Amino acid sequence: MIQAAVISNGLQGIHRYFVSNEKVNYSVLEIEEDFNPDLTPYDLLVVPNGCDHIAMAKIKDKVASFLEEGNALFCFDGWFTNWIPGNQWVMSNEKKTIDIRYKVKTDTYNLFEGIDIDKLIYNHNISGWWACGYIDASKNADVIVEDTWQRPIIVLDEKTTNGTIILTASGPLGDSGAIPTDDESSYSVLGQLYQNMLSLIIKKINHETSMF
Amino acid sequence: MKKIGLLFNGVWSHYTFATAPKYKDLIELIYIHDFDETSLDRLEALMIPFQSNQNAIAKRKDVIYDFLAKGKKVFIEGDSSMDWIEAKWEDRPTNNYWWVENPNNPPISDTDFTHPIYEGLTPRQSCWHTHGSYTSMPSQAKAIQKKPDGEIISWETQQYGGTLFATTLDPIVEHGVQQITHLDHYVDKLIFWLSGDKASGSFDVPRENYGIAVSC
Repeated sequence: MIQAAVISNGLQGIHRYFVSNEKVNYSVLEIEEDFNPDLTPYDLLVVPNGCDHIAMAKIKDKVASFLEEGNALFCFDGWFTNWIPGNQWVMSNEKKTIDIRYKVKTDTYNLFEGIDIDKLIYNHNISGWWACGYIDASKNADVIVEDTWQRPIIVLDEKTTNGTIILTASGPLGDSGAIPTDDESSYSVLGQLYQNMLSLIIKKINHETSMF
Repeated sequence: MKKIGLLFNGVWSHYTFATAPKYKDLIELIYIHDFDETSLDRLEALMIPFQSNQNAIAKRKDVIYDFLAKGKKVFIEGDSSMDWIEAKWEDRPTNNYWWVENPNNPPISDTDFTHPIYEGLTPRQSCWHTHGSYTSMPSQAKAIQKKPDGEIISWETQQYGGTLFATTLDPIVEHGVQQITHLDHYVDKLIFWLSGDKASGSFDVPRENYGIAVSC
């Protein structure tokens, strides 16, 4: 079992979507004044959708050290501050959501195995519901998914630091989903993709895979 | 001069909204963990968006009620964890796609279009989706918007001195997200009601606003 820290800035849903199980033990770290958590007990840091990127920027050096020690970071949000090494999320409203399509580009670890990418593109036949903006990705990173205009939407970066960074352009994911829904078929993919990402991290921690 | 404060939970949609050139000279971001009585000096109104840290706000609720007692305006997009106002929000399923599947049956059927925020808006501009219903509201509050089943979506009261307006709509967050393209109408009316200032132009998102450093 791996140890994961989930950052919470007081929004509802975090405790529902990140429930400890046989694979991973989740600890929710609540952001309060003078937020300065001890990350040393954890293998994985999860920054879910709707997080506080002022607080994260204030612990930027601590996150960098955490990654240099070989640990993992998931960020499924729009980090407008510059706290993630080598990669920057950028908001953009220049493109129309009706034109948004996603394509798997470089998926070395088969994270999209069993994933119907159309579920990330369409909801009730309307496109552009899941992610926002794009990632200005490190040249060292793999772009797993790009959009219509070849902008990175999901990124895996194993080279900028000694750790593993997996990012979405504010596309919500979670251990058991990420959005309250009355339409389970549209949103179950959010948990499935997360599980594939989590399995990669567990394998890496257990040295069952390598970057080559 | 900025007259409206926006309680800022470090969330990107709050940031995108308040830093857009259209609004940046009208709205002051107030980081929730720095929020105290001095934060509201010189301001006429306060916005509290959806995706706020309700526990952190609850610790500072006296600052908000003192502001209201001075005759100011407060606009709240809350959520069901909010226990610092005399009203009860209950979650309801959010239907983002009624306009695709059942466009003649919007989630809100009854709006007081004489209210300054809603005056001149179309029904579509005054409702995109809701995140819950108010099952109770302060003793002297008046309902402004209701669902077809009579549940309350928006209400307003002057019983605390100024005007407290609460809604389960989320215009600030959704305008920041920019996936709903007709929210300028609602938000610009809201800003005028809160401050007397008129926002104009399109909602642009400057690249240089992203990747900023924060001093510790």
